[in-house]
Amino acid sequence: MKKQLVQGNQAIVMAAEVAGLKFYAGYPITPASEIIHELVNKKHIKVLQMEDEIASVSACIGASLAGLKAMTATSGPGFSLMQESIGLAHMMEIPLVIVNVQRVGPSTGMPTLPAQGDVIQCIHGSHGDYFPIVFYPNSVSELYAYTVMAFNAAEESMSPVILLSDGYISHLYETIMPHRDFDIKNRSRPPLGKGDRHFTGLSHEGSVPRTSDVDNYRRLITHLYEKQQLVAQRYNCYEYLECGKDTDTLLISYGALSRVAYYFKNDFALYRPIQMFPVVEEIKIIASRYKRILVMEMNTGQYVREIECILHREIEFIPILGGRIDLHEIKQKIRQKTIERNEE
Amino acid sequence: MDKESGFKRYLKLDLLPTPWCPGCGNGIVLKTICQAFDELDLPKDGTVVISGIGCAGRSAGFFNLDSVHTAHGRAIPVAEGIKYANDALHVVVVSGDGDLLGIGANHLLHAIRRKTNITVVCYANEIYAMTGGQASPITPHNTKTLTTPDGNPDYPTDVQFLFKHHNGYFARTSAYHLNHMKKCITESLEFNGFSFVEVRTMCIVNYGRRLGYKNSNEMLMHYKELYKINDYAEELAQDEIGIIKSSS
Ligand code: SF4
Repeated sequence: MKKQLVQGNQAIVMAAEVAGLKFYAGYPITPASEIIHELVNKKHIKVLQMEDEIASVSACIGASLAGLKAMTATSGPGFSLMQESIGLAHMMEIPLVIVNVQRVGPSTGMPTLPAQGDVIQCIHGSHGDYFPIVFYPNSVSELYAYTVMAFNAAEESMSPVILLSDGYISHLYETIMPHRDFDIKNRSRPPLGKGDRHFTGLSHEGSVPRTSDVDNYRRLITHLYEKQQLVAQRYNCYEYLECGKDTDTLLISYGALSRVAYYFKNDFALYRPIQMFPVVEEIKIIASRYKRILVMEMNTGQYVREIECILHREIEFIPILGGRIDLHEIKQKIRQKTIERNEE
Repeated sequence: MDKESGFKRYLKLDLLPTPWCPGCGNGIVLKTICQAFDELDLPKDGTVVISGIGCAGRSAGFFNLDSVHTAHGRAIPVAEGIKYANDALHVVVVSGDGDLLGIGANHLLHAIRRKTNITVVCYANEIYAMTGGQASPITPHNTKTLTTPDGNPDYPTDVQFLFKHHNGYFARTSAYHLNHMKKCITESLEFNGFSFVEVRTMCIVNYGRRLGYKNSNEMLMHYKELYKINDYAEELAQDEIGIIKSSS
């Protein structure tokens, strides 16, 4: 096995191949397009350029039902378009992987600059209640590893799994060890064309739509919730670095921004969720050791609310907006926060 | 096996009745699709039906085959994903005009262009029926609906023209012309490429009765009088049903 210098998006493709990807449908969008550029050269993977992201995710749903491991990749605007069918995929229990390489929004925003503005959209973007598993790596080698995890989690949970990235780590070049010794999960459901099953977005009991059966609906939602929790618990991935010296502060960050957090490892303890959702419960135990919790993310405060919800305590927050990750600026902001805190 | 039990093998008879209103044309189309399946003896293992949303969209669940009831307008891209994933499957889309020609029209354009080898049967009742009777993309000009109280200001989409230069299969037929409908659907299933059968059918409850039809039979009789069959024509006039010649 030789080390290879690869780009983040390229690592996603290499890992998807290892995980057994056989079908890809997508629509061009910065900063995710390198994924389809890489894939069109793979002869054993069916690649379709669709007319939009709605068609892309729909085609993936079809291919997945027909028995193939399917993936699509996009950025915020395309992810927004996919939302209705993501809900459908949860309701019909369709395994697939959706990569969202985040860029600055809202709307067209700043297409070439990284952001973390789609975090909450992952779990609430589609209407109704559904419980996706979401991973967000912070390096090229992690993109490689977690792409495989995303495929496995999709098969285990029979649901669409979101792999979050951002314009920074997806465009980053790093050396990785492209190993293949993963335990690959395969499809448990027979492919379409082998029975008389009916897959529907309506509330249903097995193959039969139940459009006004309240008890059945409640059972269905409980089932959808519980299976996601069960699978997610097998992953529960996070990074926790205790501080070399005594500190009362836990600094929480993820994705591209968490790479800068490592500079503070001698000042603060660091926590980084990799499984963004369902939120890893271990954060409760870790956070209990610290008086001060500081969250920074590249949005106006999305994940901090999740942390607040689970910890039931006051959290300090630093937004890093507009795609600029500047160590000097971040140091200043943290210093400012600390001064404000000491004044209180 | 007699013909009756022949087509019935494609239906989940235990799920009947359908949710459709008495007099609805959807049942006629559903039955004729199954008869065409039977005529070709399509294998139950190896045929899948995909639908979108709406009254017609509920058809999929009644097929005694693997079937998928997708999001509104997305039956075609889901069907394309299935077909490209497993070329051996017969992939049939059944849905309404609002679903296929309104919210899903973009996908139709591109499936025609891609020549995806699937068959689409459009239950064309000229109305958004399930939501109560709003104008659809093929509601005729000047027709009153819930959303066009002064008459539809727009002109209907004529789907045959989307097929120009793309060598797909296009046919228009009606719920009155049962033999013709069966012929069109059978041919479309045999066609190697993208095929689309537009079946003019009646929604009596949320359309016809507002237009003054006393019952759905009157609507059927209207199709009988209005439509002349013109098979293998270059182009179909408004009062013609038939198969477009470029279909090869
Ligand atoms: S509303 Fe119209 S199309 Fe729908 S079931 Fe009733 S008659 Fe048929």
